[in-house]
Amino acid sequence: MDLPKEIELLFRENLPLAKKIAKEIERLTPLVLRKTGLEKIKIMNFCGSHEWTTTHYGIRAVLPPEIELIPGPGCPVCVTPSSDIENLINLAMEGYRIYVFGDGFKLPTVNHYKTGQISSLSHARALGADVRIVYSFADAIEDVKKDGKKSIFFGMGFETTAPSYAVLFATQKIPKNLMFYSSIKLTAPAAEYAVQVHKEKKRVPVSGVIGPGHVSTIIGAMSWDFFPEKYGIPAVVSGFEPIDVLTGVMIILKNLYTGNITFTDLEYIRVAKREGNLFAKAKINDVFDVVDAIWRGIGTIPKSGLDLNDKFKEYNARLLVNEKPWDYDLPPGCRCNEVTLGLAYPTDCPLFMKACTPARPWGPCMVSMEGACAVWARFGSSERVLSIVKEVR
Amino acid sequence: MCWAVPAKVVSIDSDVIATVDLGQNTLKKVAIGVDNLKVGDYVMVHAGVIIAKLSKEEVMENVKFIEEQIREVAEMIGEDPNEAIKDFEKSVYSILSDEK
Ligand code: SF4
Repeated sequence: MDLPKEIELLFRENLPLAKKIAKEIERLTPLVLRKTGLEKIKIMNFCGSHEWTTTHYGIRAVLPPEIELIPGPGCPVCVTPSSDIENLINLAMEGYRIYVFGDGFKLPTVNHYKTGQISSLSHARALGADVRIVYSFADAIEDVKKDGKKSIFFGMGFETTAPSYAVLFATQKIPKNLMFYSSIKLTAPAAEYAVQVHKEKKRVPVSGVIGPGHVSTIIGAMSWDFFPEKYGIPAVVSGFEPIDVLTGVMIILKNLYTGNITFTDLEYIRVAKREGNLFAKAKINDVFDVVDAIWRGIGTIPKSGLDLNDKFKEYNARLLVNEKPWDYDLPPGCRCNEVTLGLAYPTDCPLFMKACTPARPWGPCMVSMEGACAVWARFGSSERVLSIVKEVR
Repeated sequence: MCWAVPAKVVSIDSDVIATVDLGQNTLKKVAIGVDNLKVGDYVMVHAGVIIAKLSKEEVMENVKFIEEQIREVAEMIGEDPNEAIKDFEKSVYSILSDEK
């Protein structure tokens, strides 16, 4: 048997283990409630893939009703500001070839409901612009070498995609006709922001955080230590199989019960390290600067993005456009900003599965497979799951 | 976009590019984002870059960690920690055993 198959059997299909953890969670929950005085234990995940696992495998249905798992701002496609897409549409219409990931290709701008406006990069292509979908930056580099056309790569993503750009830039072998438009976001500042919003809005506070496994593979589990240290909130970096998520919940309960909340627990030991991927981190530092960044529907979060540094100025496609300050950038009626901050569930949006579906996304959270609305559209509407969804307060 | 898939390294093409098998002979050229990569290594690939290596030892360590957590929780709720891990222990270690 090969290793990926073994991992699948151990962490995805291991029913005895899943049952055991679920039982321990069930027994521990009333003890934690009594000890902390909380009525509800709100646990936020920050990764679209965690939301996918949670919803796809119906994890909410096996947890006690007092435990609420809420999705956070962990989908890079959902939080890419409309202004970035509009800038790239303009550049495409000026004659640049745009390389984009499939998710970014369909992402609607805030203007998409207005007539006479180009609503997405896919719309721009329908109008004759040269927009190409690629699987990776490496693929775009291969493709651009075939001719001399001036091109731009739309660099979306979190810290997980940053190394794929940084490693290639660091070799200095990027063709001169390929520029880079960085829309890279950093997760920790947004995670902190989301937790603060729950506090400010006097909601049930976030009692625990499931940190993103693959982001942490790069930046290190210790990057989340500010949750235990500064906020007294337990944090666990979990993997993406059902057992991983269940274990994450169990550890958060354990920490709430003991009150021993000092650093981030690392469940995803088989892939992530406490200090992260030092090789990738060094390359990212060589190529990018940390900058303030706009999060869609939310606005600017300080020091939450990456842009090419001065050494790579000649490649920086952001320098071709006039950056405008953030303006509210969701289409009318869309509640993505609340969904990404864990203030609303997708089903709270009146457009969910009516005007907004995966085939015709109205708002950004319906586009990517990891957007909370798209995940719920595909797996979350079963009666069993809906019946256990509680009001987010 | 935070999706990562396990893959096996088939060849190392340059100091920055490797070819991996994503399963069933689906080959893909990806950027190398880790140190000391070798042909035959199992890796995690995310959006065209290798972000980590996978090893059986670390999978084992992961299982042991979960076991330890269950023991601690069992103790907290007044169960016998050794009994608590018995019902799944066998299933876990038969998957990880090499005698197949
Ligand atoms: S259902 Fe559609 S419109 Fe509503 S919040 Fe989600 S993405 Fe936005």
